[in-house]
Amino acid sequence: MDVRDTVPAWTALKRHSKAEDIAGIVGLPVETVGRELAQAVATARAIMHNDRYALTPLADVALRSRYSLHYGNLRENAAFVQSYEAFERVNVALKQVITDWQTMTVGGKKVANDHSDADYDAGIIDRLGAIHEQVEPIIKRLAAQLPRLAIFGKKLLAALEAAEDGDHEWVSDIRRESYHTAWFELHEDLLRIMGRERQE
Amino acid sequence: MKKLPIDSARYQRPVASPLVEATLGLVREKIRDAWQASGQGWNEFAMRGNDALVTGEMMADIEARILASGHRFDWSASISAQERPDIYKPADGAAGDSENFMFAHPEAQTADADERGWALRGVGDNVVRHAKDVTGVARYIRSNERVLSYLTEGVPAGTIAVIDDSGGTLTAPIIDQFAGVICAGGTVRSHLGILTREYNIPCLMNARITGIRDGDTVMIEATAPAKTAEDYQNNVERTGRVWLKGDI
Repeated sequence: MDVRDTVPAWTALKRHSKAEDIAGIVGLPVETVGRELAQAVATARAIMHNDRYALTPLADVALRSRYSLHYGNLRENAAFVQSYEAFERVNVALKQVITDWQTMTVGGKKVANDHSDADYDAGIIDRLGAIHEQVEPIIKRLAAQLPRLAIFGKKLLAALEAAEDGDHEWVSDIRRESYHTAWFELHEDLLRIMGRERQE
Repeated sequence: MKKLPIDSARYQRPVASPLVEATLGLVREKIRDAWQASGQGWNEFAMRGNDALVTGEMMADIEARILASGHRFDWSASISAQERPDIYKPADGAAGDSENFMFAHPEAQTADADERGWALRGVGDNVVRHAKDVTGVARYIRSNERVLSYLTEGVPAGTIAVIDDSGGTLTAPIIDQFAGVICAGGTVRSHLGILTREYNIPCLMNARITGIRDGDTVMIEATAPAKTAEDYQNNVERTGRVWLKGDI
């Protein structure tokens, strides 16, 4: 991918993000990214609100149509496809862990987890740690074929460690790069690379 | 993966129109796939003739993918919009959703209005139990125009979003402004379920509703028990209800 596709690709993955956020990930000067985004807004390929950007639907269709050009070889790479499928299996478990983080059973009924039961929360964070142990080697194998994916391993580990250190917002808060946020972006990235659609 | 000769022409700006870029991108994607599958050299493959290279079926699929993104075409002859209203922007030029559109699920449970004037219009899977039911104005979120206008102008207070899909793709940037969400797809573990729980917004997934139009006042039974993973495994029907405010 060149700058013309990496900037929109990350605008699509990190929804509603600022030019400096995207520049930080793609490792380009913020001026370059800002210029690309301004051009995208001027040609109806992106919209901007409060300095945050989102791709327009047609720009996303065009971007996705070029993924087979950039990543067609990975779709035929058995090692990559196997690792991707392993990720999908762990993804099912991750969604259950996040759901259990957000809810708990009280008197036989599921209610929102108000995070007043430290033992319950610690149990979930342990399960999140177990999920991470499963996904870490998968990300390593994916990154062996596509090195840029390694950044997700770092983001997930940083979020997990912050949660383990007691700042529980790092589990699933949507406004930061929480474990769930980084996971969702990795999943979205992999779906696009593989040319597949999200199941639910 | 094979590259078309034109795929290497990178030193040009994208074409002026995003619609043209998307269409060309999809055509090239399909030609690459067909070339790859043919096992032929480029000259041999490309000289088969235009009718063999780009088929009607291929173009129908490209149109479907463009429409699936939420795009609707501009029309120049009104007969076009009359014949295929689903693929064109509304004839009156209004952005987005038809006032008369409504989900009409064949299995929706319904009942006449009770003594308070609330008529049952269906059920869905509650993502988490809340202390109170929530009342608001149903607004279908089915077009990108509507999402973009909410994104730039804000979501009207008390909006209960009625959504087709569960990926949360379209609505993620504005989700925290909804009073409630009714989603026709997914499960309580879907991405949209996770997002709404995170924002403490009442939400029913896998909703089977009928007879609710844009602008109607509706109530979600957010106090209903949440559906659990075990419920899905054991096919236990555990739902929250959706009511429409009718005339008493």
